[in-house]
Amino acid sequence: MKIVVAIKQVPDRDAPVRIAADEKWIEERELQWAMNEPDAYALEEALQLKEKHGGEVIVLSAGPERVGSTIREALAKGADRAIHIVCDELGAGAGGGLRNFDALGVARLLAEAIKPESPDLVLTGLQSEDLGLCQTGVILAELLGLPHSTLILHVEKTDAGLKVKRELEEGWFQSIEMPLPAVLAMQSGGNKLRYATLMGIKRAKTKELRAVNAAELGVQAGAVVTLEQISAPKKQKSTQMLGGSAKEAATALVEKLKTEARVL
Amino acid sequence: MMNLLPILGEPRQFAIWEQGLFVALAGASVYGFWRRFGPILGKILQSKRDPDFHLFPIGKRVWDFVWEVLLQAKVIRERPLAGLAHALVFWAFCAFGLVTLNHCAVVFGLGFLDPAGRVGRFYFDVAAIFAIACAVGILGLFVRRFLVRTKWLGELSWGSGLVALLIFALMATYLAAFFVTAPGGAVQALWWAHTITLLAFLPLIPHTKHLHLVLSPFTVFFSCGEFAHIPPLSGDEDFGLVAGKDLTRLVSLQAYSCVECGRCMEHCPANATGKELNPKEIVLGLRGYLNEFGPKSEEALLGKYESQRAAFECTTCGACEFQCPVGIEHVPILVGLRRGAVNTGAWENDYGSKLFLALEKGSNALGMAAAERDKFVEKSALPIFDGTQDYCLWLGCMGGYDPRGRAIVLALVRVMRHLGASFGVLRKEKCTGDPVRRLGNDLLFQQLAEANLEALAQNRVKKIITICPHCVRTIQEDWKEFGTPPEVEHHSEFLARHLGELSCVSGRDFSRAEIAGKTAGALAPEQARNEKIVFHDPCYLGRYRGVYDEPRQVAALAGELVEAPRSHERSFCCGAGGGLAFLGEEKGERVSHVRAAELVATGAGVVAAACPFCNTMFQDALAARGEDAPELLDIAQLVARGLPEEQ
Amino acid sequence: MSVLLVLEESGGKIKRASWEALAAAHRLAPAQEITAVVIGAETDALAAEAAAKPLGKVVRVEHPLLKTYTADGFSIALHQLIRNQSDTKWVVFPHTYQVRDYAPALACRMGEVLIGDVTGIEDGPVFTRQLMQGRLNGSYRHSGNGPCFVSVQAGAFRADSVETQVNAAPAPIELFTPALEPAQIRTAPSEPFRESAQTVDLGSAQRIVSVGRGIKGAENLPLIEALAGALGAELAASRPICDNGWMPMERQVGSSGQTVAPKLYVAVGISGAIQHLVGMKGSQCIVAINKDPDAPIFEVADYGIAGDLFEVVPALTEAVKAGR
Repeated sequence: MKIVVAIKQVPDRDAPVRIAADEKWIEERELQWAMNEPDAYALEEALQLKEKHGGEVIVLSAGPERVGSTIREALAKGADRAIHIVCDELGAGAGGGLRNFDALGVARLLAEAIKPESPDLVLTGLQSEDLGLCQTGVILAELLGLPHSTLILHVEKTDAGLKVKRELEEGWFQSIEMPLPAVLAMQSGGNKLRYATLMGIKRAKTKELRAVNAAELGVQAGAVVTLEQISAPKKQKSTQMLGGSAKEAATALVEKLKTEARVL
Repeated sequence: MMNLLPILGEPRQFAIWEQGLFVALAGASVYGFWRRFGPILGKILQSKRDPDFHLFPIGKRVWDFVWEVLLQAKVIRERPLAGLAHALVFWAFCAFGLVTLNHCAVVFGLGFLDPAGRVGRFYFDVAAIFAIACAVGILGLFVRRFLVRTKWLGELSWGSGLVALLIFALMATYLAAFFVTAPGGAVQALWWAHTITLLAFLPLIPHTKHLHLVLSPFTVFFSCGEFAHIPPLSGDEDFGLVAGKDLTRLVSLQAYSCVECGRCMEHCPANATGKELNPKEIVLGLRGYLNEFGPKSEEALLGKYESQRAAFECTTCGACEFQCPVGIEHVPILVGLRRGAVNTGAWENDYGSKLFLALEKGSNALGMAAAERDKFVEKSALPIFDGTQDYCLWLGCMGGYDPRGRAIVLALVRVMRHLGASFGVLRKEKCTGDPVRRLGNDLLFQQLAEANLEALAQNRVKKIITICPHCVRTIQEDWKEFGTPPEVEHHSEFLARHLGELSCVSGRDFSRAEIAGKTAGALAPEQARNEKIVFHDPCYLGRYRGVYDEPRQVAALAGELVEAPRSHERSFCCGAGGGLAFLGEEKGERVSHVRAAELVATGAGVVAAACPFCNTMFQDALAARGEDAPELLDIAQLVARGLPEEQ
Repeated sequence: MSVLLVLEESGGKIKRASWEALAAAHRLAPAQEITAVVIGAETDALAAEAAAKPLGKVVRVEHPLLKTYTADGFSIALHQLIRNQSDTKWVVFPHTYQVRDYAPALACRMGEVLIGDVTGIEDGPVFTRQLMQGRLNGSYRHSGNGPCFVSVQAGAFRADSVETQVNAAPAPIELFTPALEPAQIRTAPSEPFRESAQTVDLGSAQRIVSVGRGIKGAENLPLIEALAGALGAELAASRPICDNGWMPMERQVGSSGQTVAPKLYVAVGISGAIQHLVGMKGSQCIVAINKDPDAPIFEVADYGIAGDLFEVVPALTEAVKAGR
């Protein structure tokens, strides 16, 4: 199976979130970067499929030069080769930032890079940890004209194509059959991630990492939806202690859980 | 004394046929010896060279040789009775060097020690004393192995029995020669008896563990010398001990030197709690592997002769390596096997992956958000290190994120403020990498070490003080491979230097003699607390760093010390080391519970710890004992609670 | 009709999230400008339910191939509808798993991008959504030529006002039959199923009630079980409870047990030792009940009650049942 995995480099979980002076994005100077976690699960699923059925795993990512480290991490974990769409304007810190490429724009870049590969399967993570749009995979499927599904926990190859396990709300699941080629947006937690090994890193040095830019792909900048401004949410996370009698506290808690936390 | 014994009887004449027979037998014996020893020596020499071996400085090597080999210090100290018996046998062998040489020369009429002469007689008499000692010794060892059947010695070994018999026979035939003096058949026969015993013994040496006779002096001399030293990887194809071709000369030498005494096994906490790990079997497994596959083989080490599961049950407490009388270095072997599995991705373990992924992405081994540490630093108003303070207080993962670890940090902060020592904490810390280092993940460890060294240099950190012995060890020793770490010490060492200023804790001044001693002696009743305190030596502070007295001096400020049966270099691990604190549930009996029981049995009211891991491990174990369990406190907390209230 | 509001059903009834989306739609246009859409093979009951709400008109998008949800079916059908209702300026959805599966593709067909998981609508309109896992808010504007696609986060807008209000006269209902061929539907979904109950999989539980040493004895567990039952939550425990055999080992949460990240984690009588914290700190909302106000668990909790659990837990169980 020839599988393309689209991954994104995002600020790591411990990143200090400081709003930049122009209020368009966060300060990127002190950030450390990591692979978006749902994408790591997508990569893991691709690697397991390759181990089972043979084939090739190609990793694809768009962004400025620093994205290279995350791509190499994917190669170290077992991907066979990589494509880096070098695009500084995707980095929000740069002048144009997200004004120039919205989700559709990014998906167009990825689609143009994927089309010449004619893969059997395209995997993406369900959403990114920074913007959390949950759309790139679905738009990609539409642009490539391929069937798709989202929130996938498990992928099985069948004679007719694929059988996948999809997560539904409230603890339900369903399985979906579809032909290949297809696009899947992978949910986190469906499999066990592997750690990067020394051997993997050393081998990665000899794997192909091809760079290409937006102009070569024939994709223009331009967005229909723009992120204009960012701000800090009014409520910071802190512990709310609920006092009073047991009954009072319990009632107050239920109210909070329903309306504030919205988990009931 | 001079003429205590009769003159040793020695044959005067040997017929040609006797000489011929001797040459033939000796030849056969040497051939038999070489036939087995040659290939072994070959295997050792064909193993790959140790990448970081350096002969110099040679002083320590010579000293270790004298202390451990010639004086048999380790052998005797750790098992006094059996050790002494062995030492007697060994010293007898040394003493018999010239005797044996003379004995063989005699057959050609070239004897150089005259039994009747002053020198000769003196020498033979002295040798006779050794012979008696040796005979007694070997008899004792025989009884221990075959009648008492000490379990550390393993299965009954007929080879050992035979060798014991031969040694006894050697001594007996020697001593008998003092009483068979009339020249003639009897003297001749006795000479032949001794000779045949000797020539039978020689080829047996390389076929049994008595190979250590030949090898162990070299093993002690050439071994790394630094306790639990993990060697660097060499080159792009080196991932640790994956296959035979990764075994170095030192490791092969050590594998063949093992005397199967079982001291490593006896002190292993994993072995003591029913785990699969047996350090003796690890070493003998390498020997078996080398015998079957050789040092150039590509066959995986973790397979027929070594178990992956056993390799990952090790807490790296080092009790095995510390005990070994022949210089085998178990810790780098175990870490090497782990490296081979982890660096190649062959180790599949949910907890292990979780730990590695947490450190790949985040800053601490517990997988907590760095913001949690920031909150703690802010809430506790800890000063930030800015290059001007004396010390950088390194919190570590436990000190930064674990509630108990944080309590220890706050106690230390109180004491440091009382002492007027200036300090600051770093804004951001990454895990020193201790657990991943001991688990064999070199990629991750290098990343952490390099990132930390850079951050410390940027922050102009010169001196670090920390509550965690694992951090101390990793910073001081393991980071050396990637740069120059700043000075680092454990808080017990710092506090011990300031004992005089902490007299308020127990309400009295300390005399110099008391500071030098191990306990504080009797305390003034109206001022001292009445608890008895048992101090648990952390592996990474005690065996790894040789720090035993300082934490005791500090703990003694707060009460009377009692010792656990296994203390100082024999301290029994809490079970957290080697990355095991992060690997989930232990099967079977828990190491921490075994040690906790031992500490409780001393009758102490307080268990004093000096490591946040020990502290966390014992918390569960002691809590399980219910309401009347002793208090568990770090030495910093013992001191802090005795300080006057802050204004 | 400037707003097209796509409703979603579950078990033959419109989901509450759809009414929240209606409340959001009211920020964009007056009620009579809003067209509600129901999709399926038999939609009369759904349409009738929708017609009673404060909106302008209801359209039934009906076709046998829309009986079960598929991304292709819904995308194609809605695309045709939007083209048909050419004055549509906004297309509003509730942000559900289903909408996430097809709405971006639908928007893409029209050269548009969905503004998803919106938590607020200000004048402009400017749409607010969360970034960096809730640590930031972002303000989005639409500038394309086509309709603006928006999906609304569950619970962000209150549905009460919409739910209780009833139209004096029900809104008109239209039927729209899209052109759909079986070959266009490329995925074949199965019936939904639940996982077998054999193994306790706390990892996928949405709600967990976890108990620690504070419970004192196994005989007090029914108290906790009642709370879990009321919440529809799985039971879990800290290490000492499992060690004592009061709960099976599979229910252990912590460094030597399972790591969980449910939407709601209620820690009862748990002190918050690090071994437990590492197993549950990723939970979306943490509630802690402990009699010691200094217990470390309160550091990571969103809501805490420092009280006697033997009083608080029954009171909470009652309050949950009352609030349902």
